[in-house]
Order: sequence, then structure tokens, then C-alpha cells
Amino acid sequence: MILIVGAKAAGKLDYLTQSLGYAEEAIADAVLDDRPALVNLQEIVKVDPQHCLGLLPELLRKEVVACNEVGSGVIPISNADTEWREATGRLCNALACQADQVLRIVCGIPTVLK
Amino acid sequence: MMRFLLTGGSACGKSSYAEKLARRLPAPHYYLAAMQPFGEESLARIARHQKQRAGMGFQTIERYTDIVGVDLPERGTLLLECLCNLTANELYDEAGAGQQALAAILRGVARLEAQCEHIVVVTNDVGSDGAEYDNMVLEYIDVLGELNRRLAAQYDHVYELCCGLPCVLKGELW
Repeated sequence: MILIVGAKAAGKLDYLTQSLGYAEEAIADAVLDDRPALVNLQEIVKVDPQHCLGLLPELLRKEVVACNEVGSGVIPISNADTEWREATGRLCNALACQADQVLRIVCGIPTVLK
Repeated sequence: MMRFLLTGGSACGKSSYAEKLARRLPAPHYYLAAMQPFGEESLARIARHQKQRAGMGFQTIERYTDIVGVDLPERGTLLLECLCNLTANELYDEAGAGQQALAAILRGVARLEAQCEHIVVVTNDVGSDGAEYDNMVLEYIDVLGELNRRLAAQYDHVYELCCGLPCVLKGELW
């Protein structure tokens, strides 16, 4: 599994379609189904942050998972937002541990982290 | 011609690095300042940037929108500071291009490039905080993100600054 992280609008989707060659129909957007690639993982985490680590087995069966970096900036006032950001970060840590490759996209340019 | 794009979060040292980088490239040195002097925070930032580059020999051009209309007197090195202000101005200022902001900025940058030997463009990473925004801000993040991707794809050197230190995303350290 390839994990792709990066800021919103940094170019993750372009990387999936243009560099990895995925057709748009093969990319699930914030929904878990049987398509090989997934983007906007952070939105799935938002539904149930407390139990998101339970998604690990299903996510690891994907070919590519992309997630927005959401942990920079000021820690939110709302507990729910804080919980979501932390859950997203921890899930990405867990995914990165088992991923074959981890890429971070900045200005459309991938940097290989693993 | 060499084209540089510098990105990073707030206060990561982009501006200061960009000034030093531009100064190492051939004169004359132009500084295109896009931040509008509205409010205490911008005035303080503008004053800090002016102090930072005092005596460095930059000719400052203040231009908040419609940069396609900027004429550089001679061919030299241009520092554009910064895409994030320019994008906000074009999107939301009365004099701005509104929905055509992306095209207006790309056209303007291309015309500036045609008028100088080297260009250093400063931008910002604004999409990593996970905060919930209204559609107006989401549009801003999308336009700035696309500008960043478009310029980065064309430019020779792209650096992400962290603690004042450049991390090379593309090209090489200069």
C-alpha cells in the first residue's frame, strides 16, 4: 500500500491520476468500498474518530490511500475537532508503519518519506 | 533564466531566505510587494519586511492586483512576495479579477518572467491545519494550491523552508 499525505490542494489527486495512472472511477472519495484507491481519508475518520484504528485492515488492502495533513495550525477549541485531528494523525502513523511506500506532496511535488 | 518557488508555513523564514537568494542573482533587484497596508498586523509585517531588506538594494514595487500591468525598467532579478496575498487580493478585492483570479495571476507571473533574468516567487502552505472553513476560504485554498502546483511544475527550483532552512523539493540548492 502506498500512503500519500499532503496539505489540502497540494496535488495528491493529480499525483494519483497523472503519475500513478489511476482512472477517476478507480478512486473512492471519502468512502470505503472495493475500489483500489482512496482519497480524503480524513473525512472517513471524522465519522467516528474513536474507532478509526479499526479501519486499518481494510485500508491496508488498498493499493493507495491519500489523506490530508490536518494537524498543523492552532489546536482547535472544540474537543471534537481536536479528537478528529489527533485520530487522523495516529491513523496515518499506523498506516505509514505498514505501508510499502509513504509520499508527502508539497506544491504537487512528491517527497519519499519511506 | 532560473525560476524559484519558495513555500512553507508562517514564519518559516521564506521571506528572509528569498531576499538573500535574490540578492545572489544578478542586479537590478526588484521586490514586488503584494500585501495591502490594511490593519495593524499588515502594517507591522510590512514594516518588518522593509527593515529586513533595507540596504539590500531592492527597488520596491507595490502592486496588489493586476500584476500583468507591471513594467520592469531593466532586466534583472525579481522577488515576488507573495502569492498568498496576491491570491487574496485578486479573489476578494474590488479591483481584483474575482473568479478569474487564477488566470490573472498566471498571466501576470508569465509577463513578469518575460521581463526579468531570474524570478523568485514566495508562496505559503495554507492547507494543512484541518480547520473547517466556509466556501470562500476553501476557494482561496484551492486557487492558491493550484497556483503552487502550476508554478512548481514549471519552475527549476522548489524549496520548502523550515526554521529558515531550505528543503529541496525540486532542482538543487542555490
